[in-house]
Amino acid sequence: MSYRPCGVYHQYYRQDHAWWQTKFVWGKMIFLFIAVFYLFPQYAGMYFIAIANVVGYTILSAMGVQLLIGYCGQVTLGHAAFLAMGAYTCTLLMLQLHIPYPIAMVMGGIVGGLWSVLFGLPSARVKGFYLIMTTMAAQFLTVEFFITQYVSKIGGRGVAFSIPPGTVKIGPWMIKDDRDVYYLMAILVVIFTIIMANLVRSKIGRAWIAIRDNDIAAETMGVNIVLYKLVAFFVAGFFGGIAGAFWVTSLAAVSPEHFHFGWSLWLVGVILIGGVGSIHGTIFGALFMTLIPEALKFLIFALTQNPVFVNIMPFLPLLLEKFLYVKEAAFGLAIALFLIYEPNGISYRWWQIKNYFNLWPFSY
Amino acid sequence: MEIFLQLLITGILVGSIYALVALGWTLIYKCSGVLNLAMGELTLIGAYVCLTFYHWGFPFILALFFTLVIGFILGILTEILFLRPMVGEPHLAVIMVTVGLAFFFKGLVMLIWGTDTRVFSPAVFPMEPIFLGKIVIGQVFLWAFVASIILLLAFVSFFKFTKWGLSMQATADDEMAALSLGVNAKVVYALAWAIAFMAAGVGGTLLGNINGLNISVGYLGLLVLPAVVLGGLNSVPGAIVGGLAIGIIQNLADGYLSRFTPGGVKDVFPFAVMVIVLLFKPYGLWGWVRIERV
Repeated sequence: MSYRPCGVYHQYYRQDHAWWQTKFVWGKMIFLFIAVFYLFPQYAGMYFIAIANVVGYTILSAMGVQLLIGYCGQVTLGHAAFLAMGAYTCTLLMLQLHIPYPIAMVMGGIVGGLWSVLFGLPSARVKGFYLIMTTMAAQFLTVEFFITQYVSKIGGRGVAFSIPPGTVKIGPWMIKDDRDVYYLMAILVVIFTIIMANLVRSKIGRAWIAIRDNDIAAETMGVNIVLYKLVAFFVAGFFGGIAGAFWVTSLAAVSPEHFHFGWSLWLVGVILIGGVGSIHGTIFGALFMTLIPEALKFLIFALTQNPVFVNIMPFLPLLLEKFLYVKEAAFGLAIALFLIYEPNGISYRWWQIKNYFNLWPFSY
Repeated sequence: MEIFLQLLITGILVGSIYALVALGWTLIYKCSGVLNLAMGELTLIGAYVCLTFYHWGFPFILALFFTLVIGFILGILTEILFLRPMVGEPHLAVIMVTVGLAFFFKGLVMLIWGTDTRVFSPAVFPMEPIFLGKIVIGQVFLWAFVASIILLLAFVSFFKFTKWGLSMQATADDEMAALSLGVNAKVVYALAWAIAFMAAGVGGTLLGNINGLNISVGYLGLLVLPAVVLGGLNSVPGAIVGGLAIGIIQNLADGYLSRFTPGGVKDVFPFAVMVIVLLFKPYGLWGWVRIERV
């Protein structure tokens, strides 16, 4: 139903370019819109809204990684550094110079983008593993050294910048609890998705995909690969910076621990599980990686409430206590197993299911 | 001058441990072309296994031997379960499998052994430092140096003089030719992982003896990456020289640059060196020059 039936042709380019081509898709998207902006925040509890915020933050952060790895083929293992630059720029501008939040957020994005270009410069010379090493170094040099040792000491606030309540507001709209953060998150995710989807079907996006598929061929076709790689790094860093600046709203205090190396790897894992080279993949990956650990935690919690299971499996309370590590191990195993058994990620499976129902009952 | 010599010698002694771990890394890369980002976690596992055996009352040498045995088994298991299905897949996928392994191992280590700093008690090596003129050397460092040199020699002679070592070299050189001459590539890959696990385990044990054992030892294991980049990814002598050089550079940076910064130089300076090497000489000192210029 999301495809046009046989024999119905486009008459204008406008129709051909349209994102939502059938009535069914329109209906689906409108329902999704209502669900995200009205039904969910209205009827879900605070716990679910908090989880949704984490999902949204993961989507926003992973979008840049998806752009670099999935569309431009430049592997980055240091994306948390760009998130951190955005978050710190935004916080410092707000706290030191009292700049309004939206402007500070955009500035955070720009600083994140420029920082990303700085570490993307070696991509003009090296690729593959060597670029991975460079981005990894970006993580350590930025977060562990530059931010921890220098930036954190600006203004004599100690290690963490605490954000007084009421600092973050957009015009008259004060972002004070999880529900406000949720609305901001939902708006940003929609904007990011629209930008991303339109970028990858424009000239820039086609150049990125050409570079990803075969950089030498792309160069012979006249694509300026250094320029487009740096543009990719800038846009990814910009997304990262905005994501970091967004996450400031739901943190009581900004500190370097929120942007550690593990988070960079986590983001790469999110897009690998969701599906590389697909915007759906980013969203599915973020949902999967956030909801599955929560469900696992809930399951273990439910099991520990029942003495029968605790008797059978005496290690259960310990697992709950050390859930963070269980989550980490499960995440690692999930990445490895996904790469071995489902290398195309969840989005590929989704596409297959969709096709199955589109063609049902005659799959030929 | 004494300060310089002191830093230099400490650097060499610590660097020998890095060299040992880097050797394991290079071996995997040479034989199977896998870029292993889980090396830090391999050092962690080895160190904790050795600590457990030591606390069960085995003598240190025996505990170290058991660590080698367990490392051998774990290495072969890891290769069979996780890396063998990935043969022939794109590089990024293989790298990300090792990242997944890194998370998995780290989670397991923290689950089993916790995150508190543990020390080898009673201390394995005597506490009294040795004085060479005005230079002070902790005995731990000295013994760590001796142990890593012995193991380095053992591994290098394994490659040079045994049948399996030679077949590993052959596979590293040209996989097709080796296969057609009857080298069993499966065994070679498994063996490479086993040796990497063993080397990393011993390296981790020695590092754990120096500063106590916690998760940050895994971070030290990550320092092999600058070492192998400096030495050239697929060169065994490069790995050894790179490891020593990173040890020296790290200690000199700590000694001379710390006063200009609020701290943390020691941890990040090797990575800064790595970026510079990558920019100007990406194939390292003795790596094969076959990087495609973009």
